[in-house]
Amino acid sequence: MNPTSNPPVIEINNLVAGYGGREILHGVNLTVNEGEIFVIMGGSGSGKTTLLRHILGLNTPTSGSVSVLGKNITHASRKELYELRKQFGVAFQSGALFGSMTVGENVQLPLREHSRLDDATIGIMTRMKLEMLNLAGFEDLMPSELSGGMLKRAGLARAVIMDPKLLFFDEPSAGLDPIVSAALDESILMLREAMRMSIVVVTHELESAFRIADRIMILFQGSVAITGTPEEVRNCDDERVQDFLNRRSVEEQLEPDEYLRRLTGHIQ
Amino acid sequence: MKRILDKIGGDALYFLNQAGLLTIFLFTTLQRMVMPPYRLFPVVKQIHFIGARSMLVILVAGTFTGMVIALQFYNTLVRFGSVNLLGSAVGISLIREMGPVLTALMVIGRAGSAICAEIGIMRSDEQIDALECMAIDPYRYLIAPKIIAGVISLPVLTFIFIFIGIMGGYLVGVLIFGVGEGAYFQGMYDGVLWSDIQMGLVKSLVFGLIIVWIASAKGFLLHLDRSGAYGAEGVSRITTNAVVLSSIAILFADYLISALMHEPGMAS
Amino acid sequence: MGYPTSTDGTYTIVSLTGEVDLHCSPEAKKQILGLLGENKDVLIDLSAVEYIDSSAIASLVEALRMAKANQVKFGLVSVSTPAMKVLQLARLDKVFSIKDSVSDYTGKDG
Repeated sequence: MNPTSNPPVIEINNLVAGYGGREILHGVNLTVNEGEIFVIMGGSGSGKTTLLRHILGLNTPTSGSVSVLGKNITHASRKELYELRKQFGVAFQSGALFGSMTVGENVQLPLREHSRLDDATIGIMTRMKLEMLNLAGFEDLMPSELSGGMLKRAGLARAVIMDPKLLFFDEPSAGLDPIVSAALDESILMLREAMRMSIVVVTHELESAFRIADRIMILFQGSVAITGTPEEVRNCDDERVQDFLNRRSVEEQLEPDEYLRRLTGHIQ
Repeated sequence: MKRILDKIGGDALYFLNQAGLLTIFLFTTLQRMVMPPYRLFPVVKQIHFIGARSMLVILVAGTFTGMVIALQFYNTLVRFGSVNLLGSAVGISLIREMGPVLTALMVIGRAGSAICAEIGIMRSDEQIDALECMAIDPYRYLIAPKIIAGVISLPVLTFIFIFIGIMGGYLVGVLIFGVGEGAYFQGMYDGVLWSDIQMGLVKSLVFGLIIVWIASAKGFLLHLDRSGAYGAEGVSRITTNAVVLSSIAILFADYLISALMHEPGMAS
Repeated sequence: MGYPTSTDGTYTIVSLTGEVDLHCSPEAKKQILGLLGENKDVLIDLSAVEYIDSSAIASLVEALRMAKANQVKFGLVSVSTPAMKVLQLARLDKVFSIKDSVSDYTGKDG
C-alpha cells in the first residue's frame, strides 16, 4: 500500500499561530494521508509542539485553516470537536496518566466514557493493550509506581485502546533507552499495519524518525524547511536541514569586542 | 516615577485579566454542569476529600474558638452583670460570624491548597490536555464535582465547628466560670434567631463556592499565569496565590453578606 | 438481528461480516456466548471480515475462555488477511485454534 495516494486525513493551510503576541508558526502547510506515518521534526523552538496542539484543536490559530478527517476544526463547535476527538488517540510526552487511578483504570478510561462495552470486555481489551506494550501485570499499580518509560507506554496503551483512526505521538523516544525505543517503533509500525491507523509523530530523534516515517517534515523556527520522504530529506540541499541531520549547531559569527563586553558584563 | 506607574498599570491590567478569566471559568463550569448525565460518585469522593482533610483542624479550631469567645464575652458581660447572656453571645457569634469564616479559612488551608496544587500539577503534566483529547470535558469531569462538593461540605463543616465551639464555650463558661448550665443553653435557645442561622447558612454556602472556585481556577489556569512557570515552582506559586486570594474573597464576601442580611432582631 | 449462522455436524458456524467494531461487537459477543452457553461447539467464520477491532477480538477471547470452561470446542476458520493481522498484533494467532476451512475441523471431505 502506498499511503501517499490515499485521501488526506489532515490538511493544514497557511497556519499562522503564536502565544500572546509572539508568532511561533509562520504559514505552515501540511497534509497527512490515510494510513501514513508522518513525522514532524525540528529543534527546540521550531514550533513542532505548537503545530501538534493546533492539529488536536487545543490551540486556535491566528489565521489559516486546519482540517482533520474532513472537518474544519477552527470553525467546529465544542460538540463537533469532541465527536472528532473520539477518533483520536494521543500519547503525551510524559504519559499524562491520572495519579488517582490505577494504570488499568487509566488505560480503559476512554472505553468507560465513550463505549457501552461491558466490564469483562473492557478488562480483556485493557490487558491486551498492556501486553502489546510489555506492561503485562502492571494493571493494578498506580502511576507513581512506574518508571518514565513505562508511563510513556501506558500512555500509548490508553491512546490506542479504542483503535483510533488517528494516533498522535508526542516525543515517543525521549527518555527511553535505544532498545525500548526500537521496540516502541515496532509497535507503531504494527499498529499502522493491522489497524489502518494514520500516525503523526513529533520527535527530535533522527534514528526513530527515519525508521518509521513515510514522510518527514522538518520545521525550522516556525517555518517548513522540507516535507518529503526520508530519501528526499536526506538528499535535501537546504543547509539548515543538513545541519539538523548532522546535528551541527548553527555557528554564530563571533565579534571579539562584543564578546569581551558580554563576558565582562559591560553591556550597554 | 514612570516605572512605578508602569508597574501599577501593568499590575492593574493583570488583575483585571485574572478576574475576567476566573469569572469565565466559573460560568463555564456552571454552564457545562447543568446538563445530564449526572454522576454522583465523584461528588461523594470529593466531599470525602474535603471533609477528611479538614475535619481534624475544624474540631481543634472550633473547640478553641468557642473557648476563647466564651472567655472574652464572660469578661465583658460580668462587668454589666449579664453573664446569663453568655450562651446566646457565644451561639450568635459562632453562628453568624466565627463559624462560617473560620471554617472557611481552615478549609482554604487544608483542602483549598490541595485542590489548587492537584489541578495545577495536572495542568503542568498535560493531563488536562489529555482529557480534552479523549473528548472528556474537564469542566464536567474534574471541576464540577469539586464545586458541588465544596458547596455541600462547607455548611456541614461549619455546623460541626459551631457545635464543637458551643461545647468549648460550655467548657469555659459553665465548667470553669460557673455560669449556670441551664442559663447557658436556654439563653442560647432564646437568643439565637432564624435570621442568624440563615446568615450562617448563606455564608457557608457562598464560602464553599468561593473556596473551590478560586482553588480550582488558579490550578486550571496555571499556563496563563504571568510567572509562566510549569513544574514545581509554578504550582507552589499559584497555590500560595490561591490561598491568599480566596482568604481575602471570603472576608470580603463575609462583610457583604453580613451587611445585606443585617436585620436587628429581638429575642423571643 | 444477529450474524448469520449455519451448522455442519456438531459445529455451529457464526459468520462475521464487514466491519466488526465497538458498535457491533457487543451483539456478536452475546450471540456467540449464547451458543456456547447451550453447550454447542462453535466456529467463527472470518472470511468476510474487512475490519475487526480490539473489542471484537476481546469478545472472541471471552468466548474461548467460556468454551474451555464448558468443555466445548471453539475455533476460527477462514481468517481474512485483515483479521489475521489484528490477531497477530494481539499475539493471539497462536492462542486460538485457526484453520482454513470448516472441513479441517469436522474431518469431512470437501
